[in-house]
Amino acid sequence: MKDVLKRIVFGKREKYWWMNALVPLISILLAFIVGAIFIKITGRSPVVAYKLLFGASGLFPGPYWKSHFAEMLLSSSMYIATGLGFAIAAKGGLFNIGAEGHFIVGGIAAAYLGYAKPFAGLPKFIHLPLIIVGVMLAGGIWGAIAGYLKAKRGIHEVITTIMLNWIALYLIEAWLVIGPMEAAVETGISGTPYISLSAKLPKILPPTRLNISIIIILAVTFLIWYLFYKTTFGYEIRTMGHTLMFGMEAPKAAGINVERRTIQTMFIAGAVAALGGAFMVLGVLFQYPPIFEGGYGFDGIAVALIGQNEPLGVILAGILIGALRTGATTVQLAHIPKTFPSIIEGFTVGFIALQMLIRYWIMKLIQGRKKSVQTEMGGGAK
Amino acid sequence: MKALEVKGIVKQFPGVLANDNINLSINKGEIYAIVGENGAGKSTLMKIIYGLYTPTSGEIFVFDKKVDIKTPYDAIGLKIGMVHQEFMLIPRFTVTQNIVLGDEPSKGIVFDYKKALNEVEELSEKFGLKVDPAEKVANLPVGIQQRVEILKILRRGAEILIFDEPTAVLTPEETEDLFKTLMKLKKNGKTIIFISHKLKEVIAIADRIAVLRRGKLQGIVERGKTSEVELARMVVGRDVVLKIPKAEAKVGGTVVSIRDLTVKSKRGIIGLKEVSFDVCAGEIVGIAGVEGNGQAELVNALIGFTRPIKGTIAFDGEEIRVITPFNIRKKGMAYIPKDRKMRGLVLPFRSRENIIMGQHTLYPFSKNGVLNNIEIDKFTTKKLEEFDVRPRDIHTRARNLSGGNQQKLILAKEMSMEHKFLLASQPTRGLDIGAMEFVYHKLIEEKERGMAILLISLELSEIMGLSDRILVLYNGEIVGETTPDKTTEEELGLMMLGLKKQKRVAQ
Ligand SMILES: Nc1ncnc2c1ncn2[C@@H]1O[C@H](COP(=O)(O)OP(=O)(O)OP(=O)(O)O)[C@@H](O)[C@H]1O
Ligand SMILES: [Mg+2]
Repeated sequence: MKDVLKRIVFGKREKYWWMNALVPLISILLAFIVGAIFIKITGRSPVVAYKLLFGASGLFPGPYWKSHFAEMLLSSSMYIATGLGFAIAAKGGLFNIGAEGHFIVGGIAAAYLGYAKPFAGLPKFIHLPLIIVGVMLAGGIWGAIAGYLKAKRGIHEVITTIMLNWIALYLIEAWLVIGPMEAAVETGISGTPYISLSAKLPKILPPTRLNISIIIILAVTFLIWYLFYKTTFGYEIRTMGHTLMFGMEAPKAAGINVERRTIQTMFIAGAVAALGGAFMVLGVLFQYPPIFEGGYGFDGIAVALIGQNEPLGVILAGILIGALRTGATTVQLAHIPKTFPSIIEGFTVGFIALQMLIRYWIMKLIQGRKKSVQTEMGGGAK
Repeated sequence: MKALEVKGIVKQFPGVLANDNINLSINKGEIYAIVGENGAGKSTLMKIIYGLYTPTSGEIFVFDKKVDIKTPYDAIGLKIGMVHQEFMLIPRFTVTQNIVLGDEPSKGIVFDYKKALNEVEELSEKFGLKVDPAEKVANLPVGIQQRVEILKILRRGAEILIFDEPTAVLTPEETEDLFKTLMKLKKNGKTIIFISHKLKEVIAIADRIAVLRRGKLQGIVERGKTSEVELARMVVGRDVVLKIPKAEAKVGGTVVSIRDLTVKSKRGIIGLKEVSFDVCAGEIVGIAGVEGNGQAELVNALIGFTRPIKGTIAFDGEEIRVITPFNIRKKGMAYIPKDRKMRGLVLPFRSRENIIMGQHTLYPFSKNGVLNNIEIDKFTTKKLEEFDVRPRDIHTRARNLSGGNQQKLILAKEMSMEHKFLLASQPTRGLDIGAMEFVYHKLIEEKERGMAILLISLELSEIMGLSDRILVLYNGEIVGETTPDKTTEEELGLMMLGLKKQKRVAQ
């Protein structure tokens, strides 16, 4: 059983395969400990705070569990989408800060395709897939622009993705939602019109809001995993991921079309992150509001880092962040600001950044009885 | 006095016992060579002494004092310095800046460049290591860069200097210069430990030679008490035929035809000037030349890394307008790069993943874009055996292979790929003599099967022994064309330095 799991998750014969899971776990644990210390210092009870946080997170059974659970998965699906957006690019050696932009581009595309006339009358089983495809195309193109500029013009993707985030934001909020896409005045709606019934994501756990977004994103994650590890396309992306950042040219010398793959990788990253925005519009808001409460894109970076850029890791990290956010509002009952979970998230990422150190500690611990510490073994499957 | 003593050093990597109870004792002022097969554990032992690896067990004594070396800083503190095979210099910086980096002389809080210049000049005078302190490192040939590395560690007070395969990247002339340097250092009382696969030079310069095999110390021989043949036998455990087998060329049609090829170098100047030649099926064309005389530009144009500013390259009689690595490989070119870490391998990838790179889209490795792991594993197992890559484990990551075994993995990858033309740049770099012998046989075998081979090598013996025709590159131009039976190494050497030209038969 252990062997099967290990093969599925980490590939074969990794001696310290569990290290890749243990490091994020320890980071999370440390973050909670630091969080507890903070709460204690400010004169409040960490036990009470964590009880409230987890009680309402949806992770554990308790009062109103069904609704918490639904809310958790609802937001998790968005975090997983943006997390994948970062992880996919990272696998190809690209540092994609653009998930925020992809997310809102996906949102606006979903809104438009959801209410605009020729589409709005279609039956659901045609309309919804059409929207999903349209959203992925829109996000994909937004991502591919950065990929193109990187591949053909050599402009670093961090710069272009950040710029594209702002461009998307201004295009949408300073023009589309108050201009061409604004709902008619007489409807009394601010933002875009509401999407038609046929565009709403079907619910799966009534009476809660939970819809099929979580199923869609799990399926997409599986496809991404398959793409990375089972196809020649994913293989090529991975060769790039291990070399590009260090200026190594082995993939190019082997005849891999690095430029084209860069553009394609960014397309896929954008397409998947855009799904998050669509989930928001098609399953929660049902329109694109005048001001979108953002942040999913940047939280996606944290999700990917905690999940070690691996598909399964991103799912688990996405669920964790989703749970923290779901429980966030209740911690206020313990007189702790609801931004507290973000602090936990921040510390977790901080500890992940120190992962070499954590790996070293673990190695030292397990080899404590032996005289020496062989840190160079701890490289793991990074 | 003993400069360095190691006792019972054991280093266990997961699944590999790299050092198995090694005992060495090295005297002050000695030049001590370490030889052994690829993967014997030489680099590992040196990295332990320099604090890059911690031994599983064993003790180290420096100047008769037991020490505990945990990091390279500890090693430097104990006056141990290491010249790595990949130099750690910053190309944009001057020689002086590089040498003082990390420990700069200062006036108050300001970096005192004048003082640094003087210091470097003094240092270079003291040890007789000539460098221009104000020159940018990027503009220096490899041999001089190595000299800068040596000065850098001398400035930090190194008494024991470790060199891991210092001559692998050097031309024969540069090697001679290095050896003069080593003799000077020896005279200054420095202790030198160096690793090499070139037994001839080891015999020429070392006071004592330690032979490692499969992690164990095989024996230690004194200066003048061994021969190349005997040493070779100790290294690989069998007789090695150092002579390259001669095979008549059965020259077929032209495969690659280069006309007036002019290529800019990375620095922006013309690196290759109107070069024309053909490579035919069934022949090995050798390019002789001192490093930096147009080889890199020729290679880059052929593989599609640089676009030539003039001239044409035709493959199988068909001119290719724009060469990309993708289309030229599709036409049937295989390429053994001289820099295995930069162009040959994906270091975190396993052997099984590396070996298919470039042929991963072909059947049976994949079908409709889906990888076939069973076929990949079968193929890898077969090739690791054929090319004697150690360890045989198909799951070993390339970065955990020894230098020579990384090279073998690249050879296995490139030579098993479907091809008509092989561009081999320093194919034997870092290989032990057993592996070298194997590669020579492989190349001859390829030629007999009708492949066209372009061999670029700094080793004159390799060029002379393998080539059917020899072209000499000097300053970006072909200054001579000859055949091994019509020339000597001396004459080639002169041509390589531009001191002698030879008319070519018009193409
Ligand atoms: N970091 C590592 N992790 C696992 N195995 C390693 C590591 N470094 C080296 N090895 C293994 O230890 C053995 C000795 O390697 P080492 O690099 O010392 O060989 P070497 O004698 O320098 O060979 P070469 O002449 O090819 O450079 C090899 O089998 C190698 O695969
Ligand atoms: Mg080595």
